Amino acid sequence: MKYLFQNLLKTIPVLLLITLIVFLLVRVTGDPVSLMLPETATEEERESLREALGFNEPLPVQYFTYLGDLVRGDFGDSFRYNTDAMALVLERLPATFELAFASMIVAILISVPLGILSAVKRNSFFDLFITGGAVLGKAMPSFWLGIMLILFLAVNVQIFPVSGRDGFQHLILPALTLGTGIAAEMTRLIRSSMLEILGQDFIRTARSKGLKEGIVVNKHAFRNALIPVVTIMALQTSTLIGGTLITETVFAWPGLGQLLVQAVNLRDMSVVQAATFLIAIFVIMSNLIADLMYRMLDPRIKYD
Amino acid sequence: MAEKLMDIKDLKVRFKTEDGFISTVNGVTFNMNEGETLAIVGESGSGKSVTSLALMGILPPNGEVYEGEMSFRDKNLRTLSKKDYRALRGNEISMIFQEPMTALNPVFTVGYQLRETLIVHFKMTKQQANIRGIQMLELVGIPDAEKAMGRFPHQLSGGMRQRVMIAMALSCNPRLLIADEPTTALDVTIQAQILTLMRNLKEKSNTSIMIITHDLGVVAELADRVIVMYAGEVVEEAPIYELFENPLHPYTKGLMASIPKVHDVVDDLYSIEGTVPNPANMPSGCKFHPRCPLADIECTKIHPALEYVNEGHAKRCIKV
Repeated sequence: MKYLFQNLLKTIPVLLLITLIVFLLVRVTGDPVSLMLPETATEEERESLREALGFNEPLPVQYFTYLGDLVRGDFGDSFRYNTDAMALVLERLPATFELAFASMIVAILISVPLGILSAVKRNSFFDLFITGGAVLGKAMPSFWLGIMLILFLAVNVQIFPVSGRDGFQHLILPALTLGTGIAAEMTRLIRSSMLEILGQDFIRTARSKGLKEGIVVNKHAFRNALIPVVTIMALQTSTLIGGTLITETVFAWPGLGQLLVQAVNLRDMSVVQAATFLIAIFVIMSNLIADLMYRMLDPRIKYD
Repeated sequence: MAEKLMDIKDLKVRFKTEDGFISTVNGVTFNMNEGETLAIVGESGSGKSVTSLALMGILPPNGEVYEGEMSFRDKNLRTLSKKDYRALRGNEISMIFQEPMTALNPVFTVGYQLRETLIVHFKMTKQQANIRGIQMLELVGIPDAEKAMGRFPHQLSGGMRQRVMIAMALSCNPRLLIADEPTTALDVTIQAQILTLMRNLKEKSNTSIMIITHDLGVVAELADRVIVMYAGEVVEEAPIYELFENPLHPYTKGLMASIPKVHDVVDDLYSIEGTVPNPANMPSGCKFHPRCPLADIECTKIHPALEYVNEGHAKRCIKV
């Protein structure tokens, strides 16, 4: 508990730094006012809008105003939609979570059995096939895989819908697209981790006790092999939440990535800031969860 | 006459490597009686550990028994099904290993690892296995056994871990306990404790012990009978007193001479010159001849057979 609290405290400076960087970046990439007013607007009109939005203030003043609002939970309004920026971001969150979660499940379902099997049957034809497949899976760009899946499973054979988000059916193709890439990396990791563990003395001990090979592999070896895999899983999860823009675009999936890129293009500052702030929180959280799981899986790591 | 427990005849084990098969056990023959303590002595690479792993049926994936016979209580181990072999392992034959640091699974508690064997072989419930586990830990002299059940291996000292290993190995009352260098990785004071423990446990139960070691001090402490192995072969076999009184094979003599003695002050400690031959490149004739002080031209040609000189004492040498 103390450990968790300490780590939560440590995230505060990280979050502050992120808000500062994002704040500066959105302001150096251009003036939103020119995009908000028609071409024919006069310089006076632009100036008065800047004043109304507070852009005429010096940057430090603007930053502290922003921070003050942020502490009160006010992320400002979207210039484009004229609604609360955070509300826009939160609206997209379920779609992003749904896809991230489903992709992770796909990745685990593929990589755990394949990784274990190819380690147990190392250097066999099966192992070669899986290892080769993993290299291919990693090299395959997700937009290509997504388009191929649409072509074959939604257009030629119409099993799944082409795009959009409307129930479980719509989730499968994008989850497969994202999950395969992650599965490729995780399979290789699980394989090498398992190979290392299977050579350890305690595996020989487990066999000498007369345990079934399945128990030796799936319990004694896998519990140990999982420890390094958890870290990669956490990193992948945060990537999934932060940016799966390409896959979201291919499948017209209304997720956070899409909203964020739109907002960047329109210089919709408040939305960019709200979205990055939320993504930062999730990245920090998934790392924290990975750390906790690490401790749960490996009793050798001391608490506090 | 004591009843025969296990019998190995002309056992040969080989390993598949990138350069083809390499044979590390080349025709080992010996047997054990019920209740006996047999020591297998030899340098690292002599094939003593591989012999025991072959007997347990847990050779590494690239190793295989390719010739010879192994039987245990009239069961032919070479034709035993995987399932029957599993039922034997950890139950009738169990094993403790050299490195207590790495021989226990780091992510499971002592209790879990102790209960596991009992649940598999005796079909005990978790509660029954727990009670038996605590008894076993008490038997091997672990203080506060109930608390120790909840500990993880890294929370115990090396000596305690080896005690846990022994408790685990003995929990199903095995007929045969194979101890592969059980004291090598431990401090000298702890070594003595573990040896005393093993001797006491042996007196209490009728378990036979096969102790694999390179330490003749351990042999003197525990064994009834000794087998000396060199380069994958048995080079001498003798009852314990006979071996220390009257070692025949030059290799055994060399091993004896390399034990430091307090009373004889010598400038240099005796050691056998050279090293154990590489199994991929065995010398011709007697495998010990390149290092043997008695070797002559004959020894380079003739591979001597294991000959009995009297009841229970055999040697593989043409010079003595």
